[in-house]
Amino acid sequence: MAGARSPASLHDVELAALAAAGDRPAFGELVRRHGSAVRGLLRRMGAEPALADDIAQDAFLAAFERIVEFRGEGTFSAWVRKIAARLYVRRWRKESRFDPEAETADEGHGGEISAAARIDLDEALKTLSPAERMCVSLCYGAGVSHAEAAEALNAPLGTVKSHVKRGLDKLRLRLAPPEGANSEPTGSESHG
Amino acid sequence: MAELDFEMKLDRMFNEPPVLADGEAFARMVELRLDRGWNLRQVAIGATGLIAGLVGVTQVLGSPLLFEAGKATQRNAAALTDGVTGLVRAGENLSALPFGGEAMWLAAALGVMALAFAVTRAVEEFQ
Repeated sequence: MAGARSPASLHDVELAALAAAGDRPAFGELVRRHGSAVRGLLRRMGAEPALADDIAQDAFLAAFERIVEFRGEGTFSAWVRKIAARLYVRRWRKESRFDPEAETADEGHGGEISAAARIDLDEALKTLSPAERMCVSLCYGAGVSHAEAAEALNAPLGTVKSHVKRGLDKLRLRLAPPEGANSEPTGSESHG
Repeated sequence: MAELDFEMKLDRMFNEPPVLADGEAFARMVELRLDRGWNLRQVAIGATGLIAGLVGVTQVLGSPLLFEAGKATQRNAAALTDGVTGLVRAGENLSALPFGGEAMWLAAALGVMALAFAVTRAVEEFQ
């Protein structure tokens, strides 16, 4: 019986079932397990750490309210990251920060790239424009499709696809091993 | 193929949560907000129940229901008293009557019927 075991020994789905019955310590264990993933995603999407933490808290509270909707079809982490990403996108749109034509200041694909920057996703994401960073993080970090991202951002699907493609091209350069840095970048459609 | 590999690599990198030193403090903050929300909800439910109860009591006190119920109770008590008095009188007069045992049983049955009638009236009054 799940109730006789400590929360730390339970699977996410069991913890979610307990949380759905009002067991707040069980939900606290889920927060402990997945808090970093949610906060990390929001930071990767471009949120300042304090704002990311605020939105992550809101996301977990929203997840607790809607915990009965989680049926274990995907992972709990992916589910709550999607909630957090949507909350952040809503805030981002309210502040009118989405400029489909915006480009990053760092447009140079060449130049010196440090070894650390090649393997650090967080650093590599900083070289993307806010729109590219948002679209790539939404599609690869929050697991939403291009169409869902376009709907969430209230932007044309084609615009989102081009942001993802350009973002991936830049990331490929930054994250590629030194010997692969000259490879020709190509587009991506797998998340559409 | 290289593109697919890169996207899989990117998925993996996004799925690797960063190590954040204040993870426990973050979890405690969420639990605190959950508890606060829960307490607020309980207070709200309690306050709503109290207000609803007060409104209900005010409505009942303001309506003529209690007054009518009191009057009906007085009427029924009087009817019951009359019935009992009649029975007592009948008992006192039993010895003076020139009847036998059958007459006594008949009188007792009539008394029961009177009592039943009083109860029926009482029920009708309350309905």
